[in-house]
Amino acid sequence: MNAYLSVSVLIAFNGLLLTIPVIPAIVELYRKSDAQPLLVIQKHGGEIRHFSEGFRKYIDELKPTLKECRRSGATARGRLKDNAEYFVMGKPSATSLREVRKHDGDCSTVIVAGGDFETPGISNFSKEIYVQGNFQGGNFNHYRAILGEKDVELGAYSSVARWIHAVGVFSASYHCALSGRVSSDSAIKLKRKCTFLRLNAPRIQLGASSIELPQNDPAVPDSGKSSVALKRYLYDQDFEVQAGQIFHGNIVTRGKLRVHQGARIFGSLKSNKQMVLEKGVLVTGSVISASQLYIGPGCCIHGPIIAEHALHIDIGVRLGTPAKLATVSSPKILAKEGVVVFGSLWAREYGEVADKA
Amino acid sequence: MIYGLYIIVGLICIYTFRHYWFTLNRLFGFQRHPYIDIDTADWPPVTILVAAHNEEKVISNALDALMAVNYPHEKMLVIPVNDRSKDRTREIIDDFVEKFPGRIRPFHRVSGKAGKAAALKDAMELVETEVILIFDADYIPGAGLVKQLVAPFFDPEVGGVMGRVVPMNVGANLLTRLLDLERSGGYQVDQQARMNLRLVPQHGGTVAGVRMSALHEIGGWNDTSLTEDTDLTYRLLLHGWKTAYQNRSECYEEVPETWPVRIKQIMRWAKGHNQAMLTYSFHLLFGRHRATLRERIDGTLLLGVYVMAPLTLLGWLLALGVFYQGVVPLHGIVALLAFTSYAAVGNLAAFFEIAAAARLDGTFGRICLLPFLILGFAVSTFSVTRAAISLVTDAITGAEFHWDKTERFRTTT
Repeated sequence: MNAYLSVSVLIAFNGLLLTIPVIPAIVELYRKSDAQPLLVIQKHGGEIRHFSEGFRKYIDELKPTLKECRRSGATARGRLKDNAEYFVMGKPSATSLREVRKHDGDCSTVIVAGGDFETPGISNFSKEIYVQGNFQGGNFNHYRAILGEKDVELGAYSSVARWIHAVGVFSASYHCALSGRVSSDSAIKLKRKCTFLRLNAPRIQLGASSIELPQNDPAVPDSGKSSVALKRYLYDQDFEVQAGQIFHGNIVTRGKLRVHQGARIFGSLKSNKQMVLEKGVLVTGSVISASQLYIGPGCCIHGPIIAEHALHIDIGVRLGTPAKLATVSSPKILAKEGVVVFGSLWAREYGEVADKA
Repeated sequence: MIYGLYIIVGLICIYTFRHYWFTLNRLFGFQRHPYIDIDTADWPPVTILVAAHNEEKVISNALDALMAVNYPHEKMLVIPVNDRSKDRTREIIDDFVEKFPGRIRPFHRVSGKAGKAAALKDAMELVETEVILIFDADYIPGAGLVKQLVAPFFDPEVGGVMGRVVPMNVGANLLTRLLDLERSGGYQVDQQARMNLRLVPQHGGTVAGVRMSALHEIGGWNDTSLTEDTDLTYRLLLHGWKTAYQNRSECYEEVPETWPVRIKQIMRWAKGHNQAMLTYSFHLLFGRHRATLRERIDGTLLLGVYVMAPLTLLGWLLALGVFYQGVVPLHGIVALLAFTSYAAVGNLAAFFEIAAAARLDGTFGRICLLPFLILGFAVSTFSVTRAAISLVTDAITGAEFHWDKTERFRTTT
């Protein structure tokens, strides 16, 4: 082989080696298999009711059937547009349900109930349920999703995988596991040992409603000024607000923050480490902790509450107000009985209604 | 010469480490999205400034989208800041004012200093709210975006907020696809990692917000800066205010579709950023202020990103010089090992970061384009170097900074 040929072969070979990694790039450039913009949700704001509203539209085609079944008291079966099986009950009853519920308790049909609906226990509803009346679930049931036009009540030890929305009151008995989103246009009531992730309602009652502590929530004059607009006091170290002290403004600490018993903060609080609010503290703005947050018995906070690591809420706490709904968010939330939240309660990883002890 | 080379190599290694640290944090670390869950609140009044200079191609899309957002109408006022436009921008804005009475208050600026910061500064006369959001006219916010950008202001430590920018004209050509990858790396990995690690997320000046009292405290908009966003980030930091980055608060933007427009854009960014570096780096690193130690270090490194391009070019020249001088750095074998290690790991850092970002975004095909990023980096390196030289010559000749508006490519209005 002569020298020129050798060099040419060497250059061609190296050129080929350099080209190899570029071949997929050239192919992708011309084929444009992944050239769409990233999906950014434009049409909705991630509202908790998004799925239930979507489901309502999904079963819209069943309205005439449901109307007819309600009038005649009959049942109807068929398939929806996406080929999912449905079962409509004009006058819901355990007897009617037997048509689609297997002996082992499995029910894999979309259920549409035209009135009050009571389910037997130890059942697994792997498709959505729509109820025009009140819904009462048996114990030890598993649900995928429920949309109720009136009250929805789950029996003890039940679980929900995706979502529940009740136009009326939603309540869950002891030891229920609410893994998805639960919302109500009226109120949510969870009994002891219920676990939850995302709850939203004008009023969320955790545990027994009989626990009422005297609230440090006197008639707070509304200055009309949002706490967002108040003066900031920044402390580079730990900081404590003394018992009974009244503080006007927003407090920011780089260290820990402790607010002693009965103090009143007309503003917001932020700590970059642990924050403790002792018994009966009032905060009219938001409370943000970059670490753990403990809210003592009978505290009252009007604005959003965020704990980046964990949140412990003691008995008798009020978060938000009926007039100013708020969001409470943390990866882990442990709330004792008697806590009331007005707005949203979001535990990203785990939330539980604990014993009052 | 050899010691200069050592310093440059050292700096490159620091930035390499930083790339890996950020990427690994995004892939395996604790992710901070503290404010994204706030969906229910007593929302504060907000003013939305829409910066517009000859934006007839895009302004109606932005205003349409803003009128459809999910925020209490009585608490939201949109101020289109029409900065000396010579096209139909004014006419389009006035049509919207008529169509949505009480919800849009136009600010038609007919004279004054050029530049976005100067226009925003003048528009502040109309702002009465504590929370201000800023969008460029080519951005299209989604229904939930305003609430998401306002939510961090419930944290009294937050002075600024930044959302994520997502290119919408990705498929136009090679440049837009490369810019899409760069944006993905910059936001999905860089910005979010800085948020996770409590470092210095950067205020981008659009899809962004600022607290009025913080802005007053730091002296308002700096209209002498070419990048008012970088300038704002550092002044907030020095006064103890945090900038929060909301990775899930995404907004579509239009990226440049031609290389000359891209080169102009990156040169302006580089000039402005380097201007901020000269102004703030020494004080940030050594001065008495409220920034933490990790913010001082990261903030300084962030200020230095646009200096690395000319330094890299200088490093190549020095390496050539050292080679022809016959100097054997670090006793030969050590240098060879170091060079090999860097070639194997260091050069991949930026690519690793972008590939990780694409993976986090759930996209796969576009990762194939990574080899072409060398082209984008080469263009950026030379453009940024040109900008750095221009900054020096401007300082010597006393030339004033010139504001170049980024050209739009959208064809529908």
